Amino acid sequence: MKHTYVFLLIGMVVIGAFLAGCTQQASTAPAQNLKIGVVASLTGPSSTTGKDVWQSAQLAAEEINAKGGIYVKDLGKSVPIVLVQGDDESTREGGQKAVSRMITQDNVDMLVGGFSSAVVSAHQSIVAEHNVPYIITGASTPVITRRTDVNTSYMFHHAPTTDDSGSQTTLFIDKVIRPAINAKFGYPQDRPLKLAILYQDSPYGKGHLEAVKNTIANNSLKINLVSQETFKMGESDFRTALTSIKSSDPDVVYVAAFLNEQIPIETQAMRDVDLKKIFIAIEPNDDPDFYKGVGKYGDYSVIQSRFSPYTVPKGPTEAAYNKFVTDFDKKFGGFPGMMGVATYEGVYIGAKAVENAGTLNKTAVKTAIANLQMPQIVEAMQGQTISFSKDFRESKFDLTMEQLVWDPSVNETRPKIVSPANLKERDFMLPDWYVPGKA
Amino acid sequence: MEIGLDIFLQVMVWGLYAGCIYILLATGLNLIFGVMKVVNFAHGQLLMIGAYVTFSFFVLTGFNPYVLLAASIPILIVIGVCIERLCFRPILGTGKLNEIFISIGLIYILENVAAMIWTDEWKTIRSPFEEITVTIGGMKIPVDYLIIIVTTVLILVGLYIFLKKTRLGLAVRATSQNRKAAMLVGINVERMDMLSFGIGAGLAGAAGTLWVVSGQVFNPYMGSVPAVKAFAIVIIGGLGSIPGAIIGGLILGIAENFTVLTIGGAWKDAVAFLILILVLIIKPNGLFGEKAE
Repeated sequence: MKHTYVFLLIGMVVIGAFLAGCTQQASTAPAQNLKIGVVASLTGPSSTTGKDVWQSAQLAAEEINAKGGIYVKDLGKSVPIVLVQGDDESTREGGQKAVSRMITQDNVDMLVGGFSSAVVSAHQSIVAEHNVPYIITGASTPVITRRTDVNTSYMFHHAPTTDDSGSQTTLFIDKVIRPAINAKFGYPQDRPLKLAILYQDSPYGKGHLEAVKNTIANNSLKINLVSQETFKMGESDFRTALTSIKSSDPDVVYVAAFLNEQIPIETQAMRDVDLKKIFIAIEPNDDPDFYKGVGKYGDYSVIQSRFSPYTVPKGPTEAAYNKFVTDFDKKFGGFPGMMGVATYEGVYIGAKAVENAGTLNKTAVKTAIANLQMPQIVEAMQGQTISFSKDFRESKFDLTMEQLVWDPSVNETRPKIVSPANLKERDFMLPDWYVPGKA
Repeated sequence: MEIGLDIFLQVMVWGLYAGCIYILLATGLNLIFGVMKVVNFAHGQLLMIGAYVTFSFFVLTGFNPYVLLAASIPILIVIGVCIERLCFRPILGTGKLNEIFISIGLIYILENVAAMIWTDEWKTIRSPFEEITVTIGGMKIPVDYLIIIVTTVLILVGLYIFLKKTRLGLAVRATSQNRKAAMLVGINVERMDMLSFGIGAGLAGAAGTLWVVSGQVFNPYMGSVPAVKAFAIVIIGGLGSIPGAIIGGLILGIAENFTVLTIGGAWKDAVAFLILILVLIIKPNGLFGEKAE
């Protein structure tokens, strides 16, 4: 009996050693594929966006693999992309767990994705520790690649930052909305616009607040911030915050919120608080669910966008846009969303960088991403080129401003581009029901 | 910021509305705890299912969503009874840890089942009365909020009559007060467990319907925040005390909204726990709680 235990023990040790040897051998053998970890919120409150992110990455990988994969000079052959799913569970802790697993157990060559600024911030130190190239396609706070407490040199931001979208939107308010209000209501041309801001209490929301303030200050805009209200992420009852905003008598309400917050904000403002103002939404909301959810209460509101489900900017990206949206719909059904398209491009960026580097070595790939100059894919980029700024490794997008217009044929609003001038589908209009702030 | 009478009254209405949802949720939670001494952490998920039941019937039938209370409450009662029979009864009395883990497990199960049936996208429906407002003292109030407040009052009155004026209600109260004595006088306490869990779930279902009618968005993961508030209310009002849940719900609903108005929305959730701490310092058993055994 005693001998049996000894044999069993020896057997286990031998099998264990054999398996350990196998693992060792596998890890030293040359990689036969490009392993990309996709950080996506596949469960939890952000799971709708997370699904878009994952499916868009799948579509990009399949397209690249169908063309024979990526040629890696060091290996002397083309290798396919293999995606690894990293569900951040819409939480900071979930993101840390997923990223840690993908880096240490799945041995991914690079990471793509990352939705919420808060979630991405929480796992950046893990990425920095292992020096894995990371193309962040969702988080919008500029702090992501500007923070100094973590080495972010392997991280690249392929999504407009809150600085970009906040600045663009504030300039639009000053150049387009302010003159329209002053002209319609006979106010002096230099009357400052009264702006209220309702923002999520998160890096994303605070980033927008800062961007608005900085844009007003840096450009000496005639905009007075008359109200600043905040709310917790995931909030659904905004009635009191909107009542407070109403008492400040603004002309325009700038909202920095996610889809599940933006819909009740606009609905409760119009329906419950009788706040007849122009509402401004920020890009993550330009999604079919937003139009469905906000219904008629979205009429005449404005949304800053870069990838809309219902309007395509005329120009060089139009064909690529239509192809991507059609392919996505055919494969998965539905609309991929902004985080989806950025991640789709993120996979292409990663693939191109590996091809340029000619190796899977992470440092070389990081350098290749930093030096990348590739033609825009689906989204309109500044200079029609995807490249990352030398200082903070941010790519720069061409952003649009859209106004929602009621379409009785679909019983929903539909967006019309009102800025920039070269892409404009119609002029910005003030509705008859609009009530401006007092002069 | 200067708060005029109009703003004060408007915020009071929003506070009362929020309080109504909290009251329904917390009363159900308290009823379950009072009778079974079980803390159901998945109670917010029952509100979520109530919201989806209302949504589904609304889409299928186009009925007035208020009428759909007649669907959401009975369906949630049945779901509550099933949960009690299948999940809690087998482990009742085996230790608090088992009850806690069962109810935490239920959160994930109910959320995933809901996501499987209804997907995890945000949903919303519109009340047929959304265009109608009533002017009271110069203040325009959407009629939906008045209906919600009146409906909550009616449900609570119904619950009061059931508990105080019926034999079954008497048996529920007896079980809540002394389980062993109730058994000795011939009350089937297991049946009372089932009944109280069913009613508690039904009240959560009603909260879900009223949540939906007020134009709130919802998805399978929306139940946790209201549940946390409901737990705070239960402790503020006193464990097992239904009047405590009502008063606690009103206090929290109004306090939260005035916090948003005066300090800011970032403090809204914190105020529940600030009140909770204050109440526990002054009255360790809650406002209406009895001394722990």
